[in-house]
Amino acid sequence: MNLLKIKNLSVEIEGKKILDSLDLDIKQGEIHALLGPNASGKSTLAKVIMGLSEYKVKAGSILFLNKEVKGLVPERRSKMGIALVFQNPPAIEGIKLSKLLEKISINEVREKEKYSHLLERDVNVNLSGGEKKISELIQVLSLNPKLLILDEIDSGLDMNKREEVVEILKREAKEKKMAIIIITHQGEILKRFNPDKVSVMINGKIACQSNDYKKIIETIKKNDYAKCKHCKKL
Amino acid sequence: MPSANIAKNCKHDFLQIDNEIKEIAKNDKMVILPSSEAWKSLPWTKEYFNGKPKGGYFIWIKEQVDFPLSTCVNIASPNVKQDLQNLMVIEKGIKAKAGVICSSLKNNLSGTHKARGKLILKENASLEYNHVHRWGHNDNVSPDYEFILGKNSSLKYNYSNLFPPKNLDIKNKIICGEKSSVNLNISVNGIDSLIKIKEEVFLEGKDAQAVSRLKLVGRKRSDITAESSIIAKVKSKGHIDCQSLMVDDESKISSIPLLVCESKEAQITHEASIGKVSEEQLNYLRSRGLSEKEAIDLIVSGFLSV
Repeated sequence: MNLLKIKNLSVEIEGKKILDSLDLDIKQGEIHALLGPNASGKSTLAKVIMGLSEYKVKAGSILFLNKEVKGLVPERRSKMGIALVFQNPPAIEGIKLSKLLEKISINEVREKEKYSHLLERDVNVNLSGGEKKISELIQVLSLNPKLLILDEIDSGLDMNKREEVVEILKREAKEKKMAIIIITHQGEILKRFNPDKVSVMINGKIACQSNDYKKIIETIKKNDYAKCKHCKKL
Repeated sequence: MPSANIAKNCKHDFLQIDNEIKEIAKNDKMVILPSSEAWKSLPWTKEYFNGKPKGGYFIWIKEQVDFPLSTCVNIASPNVKQDLQNLMVIEKGIKAKAGVICSSLKNNLSGTHKARGKLILKENASLEYNHVHRWGHNDNVSPDYEFILGKNSSLKYNYSNLFPPKNLDIKNKIICGEKSSVNLNISVNGIDSLIKIKEEVFLEGKDAQAVSRLKLVGRKRSDITAESSIIAKVKSKGHIDCQSLMVDDESKISSIPLLVCESKEAQITHEASIGKVSEEQLNYLRSRGLSEKEAIDLIVSGFLSV
């Protein structure tokens, strides 16, 4: 059974089409990489799955656990098991991470102890890029999601931290059969994740898909995204 | 009601419930009396009281104390009217900290809390004064405080009101002597409230300094008018920062910073802003499973606590 089934999804912002008749299926426990050039619609897709309000869904459906979530508010989707790690999470002054976790946590996260110094910092205020990603990770894992969307999780992380983050995520995915969508424009992090499937997004559509992420990365390295525009399956 | 257990659970140096004094601590280093008794037994206090006090407390810190002072005045019964005159005197060179709570123990008591206060900081004294108000929806509250800062003294005054009454009328007057400094932080969460705030800082002594920060939130038909002024009479420095957050379209906030300069060597500045709750923050918190209301409450509490 598909955990997430997106069918014929079209999305606009201020009259401009960002996602165009997009189809995407994600299975339970699947690690799925979503590649694509800048402005191809990857982050928009993440926010639309999460239900963030600035996007207007013009057509199509988003089924999560066989239920239509298109009209649901983000908190409802969160409670159903969808979580998003933001690429640029907003700073929230005056609210400590520990206080936020008290309010949202369903699940105890092992990494809280190791990063206890972050718990007494205001959410995303004056944190380094790496600290923000760890803070995001602690938050979303405390929600015990069934589907975790990582929007450019590798940006701002040094190599050691990147490895640690990937190991945590792989562990959680395995233990809890959590599906992960990894949005990236670099292939580097995929070597660590070894995804089950890769989709390439171009101009708001899935241009090609493969189970062989190495082949896709190789092709993109050689031809940029030019070849992806013309194929459905490599 | 969030403050319901304040009176029961805490030990206070002064505790009053409705119009009855429940506790007064005894200590060699300070004098704590009902204001009416201070008026009778310490004639010098008469110059600071505005006529014979009916209620309230007198606190005179004569020697250094190593614990924070704590006072609590509550309304626990319906339709109570409190009329307090509080006087606090901090002697020369004493460094003190005070936690002051005024609250209603229930939401629907329709009480009246009128408090006139005077705080005297003598030369080289310093005071951190943390003033917390928590009221019910139908209360009427009017604190009117005057702070007199002696030479080289310093005051940090933090006022927080997250649970506002129906009507709130705050007046603060601060008179700063030579080289004294004052740091005022006032946070008020307007929820279906009529709120008037008038804050005046007089920089009267040479090289006095004042920073006044006001944070206001307008929600659910609140009408808030906040006038914050610094009057520099001599060479001195001052800054006013008024920040307000509008949560809905039914409320109104008027934020009025005023600078009056009577010396060419004084430097006084102000900044003021009124904004709305950030959609980005709201979306972020909702994606973490909080409802819209829970997310707004959290953003507001963060805004007021900074």
